[in-house]
Amino acid sequence: MNDLSVHFEGVSKNYPHFTLNDISLELPTGTIMGLIGANGAGKSTTIRILMGLVHQDQGQVHVLGRAMPQEQAAAKLDIGFVSEDMRLYGSATLAWHMKFVRSIYAQWDQPYAEMLLQRFDLKPPQKIKGLSHGQRVKAALLLALARRPRLLVLDEPTTGLDPVARQEVLGELMAVLADEDRTILFSSHNTLDVEQISDQITFIDRGRIIASDDKEIFLDRWRRLRLVLPPEADLPSLPGVVQVGGSGRLPVLVTNRFDAAMVSACNDAGATVQAVDPMTLEEIFVANVHSRREKQTV
Amino acid sequence: MNYAMVKRLMLKDWYLQRWAILGSLVGVVVTLGIIATGGKVAFLLGLILLIMVIISIGAQMPVATIVTERKEQTLPFVMTLPISYWEYTTSKIWGNLLIFLVPWLTMLLGSVALLMYDPKTHGLIPYVAIMATEILMSTCLVLCVALITESQGWTVSAIMAGNIGVNAIGYLVAHIPGIAKGMWGPAVQWSSAASVVLLVEFATIVLLLSVTFFVQARKKDFL
Repeated sequence: MNDLSVHFEGVSKNYPHFTLNDISLELPTGTIMGLIGANGAGKSTTIRILMGLVHQDQGQVHVLGRAMPQEQAAAKLDIGFVSEDMRLYGSATLAWHMKFVRSIYAQWDQPYAEMLLQRFDLKPPQKIKGLSHGQRVKAALLLALARRPRLLVLDEPTTGLDPVARQEVLGELMAVLADEDRTILFSSHNTLDVEQISDQITFIDRGRIIASDDKEIFLDRWRRLRLVLPPEADLPSLPGVVQVGGSGRLPVLVTNRFDAAMVSACNDAGATVQAVDPMTLEEIFVANVHSRREKQTV
Repeated sequence: MNYAMVKRLMLKDWYLQRWAILGSLVGVVVTLGIIATGGKVAFLLGLILLIMVIISIGAQMPVATIVTERKEQTLPFVMTLPISYWEYTTSKIWGNLLIFLVPWLTMLLGSVALLMYDPKTHGLIPYVAIMATEILMSTCLVLCVALITESQGWTVSAIMAGNIGVNAIGYLVAHIPGIAKGMWGPAVQWSSAASVVLLVEFATIVLLLSVTFFVQARKKDFL
C-alpha cells in the first residue's frame, strides 16, 4: 500500500444519468498516469472522488495512504490540483493568491515559485481578471507546483490553451518529473498531451476503465496490419484482433497483441502482409473504445 | 476541526469583500447621521435607508461569498485546499455572520442611542430590538439557503422572502397589543409579548443554522 499514491478498489458512483462503475486503479508513487477518455467518460468524477470532493457510493479510495473522503483534509495537504474548470479570484492579484496559498502550506517553495513566475512570464501584481486563459492556467499551475505536492492531479489542464502555452505547461510538467518522488495523474481527452508526459495510460469510457497499462506496452502491442488476401481465402486467425476493416481482399486488422510471429503466421496462411503500421495513442484509444462498445452492444 | 484553516478562509472572504463591508459601514454611519439631524422626515428617511443598507449587506455577502464562488468556479480552488466540507461550512457561516454583525450592531446600538437621546422615544426600543433581530434572522435564512442550495435562484427567493418577512413581521409586531401599548410612550416597556417574539426569533436563528450544518454534513457531492 505504501508505494501506491492512489488506490481505488471497486469504486462506484451513481447519478441519475451516469454511473461510474467498479473503478479499480493503482497509481504507484513516482509515476505519471494519463487518464484518457472522451467528454463525459468519467474522468472528472474519478478525480473528484480522488480529491474527496465527491463521495463514492461503493468501494475504497486511498490517496497517499489516507482513506477518502474521511481524511481528505490531511491528504490534500500533499496534493496539488489544477483543473480546467477551476478559477482563481478575479479581483485579487497573483501576489495575493501566492501569499494566501503560502500561508496554508508549510512546504511552499518561494525560490521555486519565483523561478516559475519568470518561466511563465507572470507578474505578481497583476489581477487575475486581467490575465489571458493561458496565463490563468499557468498561475494555477504555479500555485499547485510551488507547494511541492507529493501528488499532482491535473484535470484537463491544457484544454483551451494555445499551442505555445500548451507546450510551456507540458514542458514544466516534464521538468517536474526530475523529482522521482512526485506522482502525477493527468487527465485529458487530448491524447497527444498525455502521450508526451505519461508513462502509464488508463483509458476510461462510459464510466468504466477499459484498459490500463504502461504507455510503451500500448505502443508496442497495438499495430495495424494491411493484408492482401488471395481470391477466396479466409482471413487468418490472429490473436488480439479488435477491429477488422478495409475491403474483402484488402483487409486491415487492428491487434492489441502484436508480435513478429504474426507476420509469418499471415504468410503461412497465404496472405501477404503489405504493411505493419504502428499506432498513435489516439488511434489505440479510439480502437479500444469502439471494440468495447461493439462487445457491449453484442 | 482545523480552526486555523477556518480563520484563513474567513479572512479571505473579508479581504475579497472589503469594499462592500466598508461601504455598508459608511452607509450605516451616514443614515444614523441623517436620523440624528432630527425632524420627522429625516427620521423616516434615515430609518428606511438604514434598513435598506443592512438588508443589502445581509443579502450581498452570502451571494458574493457562496453563490458567486460556485458560479465563477472559484469553489474548486477553495475545496482543493486542505479543508473538509464541515470546515468550509463553518467558515462561511461564521465569516458571514461576524461580518454582518459589525454593521448590524452599529445599526442596533446607534438606533438605541438615538432613541435614548430623546426621552419621548424610549418606548420604541423593544420594537427596534425585535426588528433588528428579525433582520438578523432574515440574513441567516439567506445564508442557510445560499449554503444548502448554492443556487442564485433560490438565494434570490430567500432574499425576497426575507424582505417580505421584515415588512410583514414589522406590521404584525406593531399591532400586538402587549407591544403596541407602550411603543410610543416615553418609557421602555419589556412586555412578555416582546420577550416571546424575541425568543422565537433567536430560536429560529439557532434552528436555521443547525439545519444548515445538518444538511451540509450529509452532502455527498461538493463540486
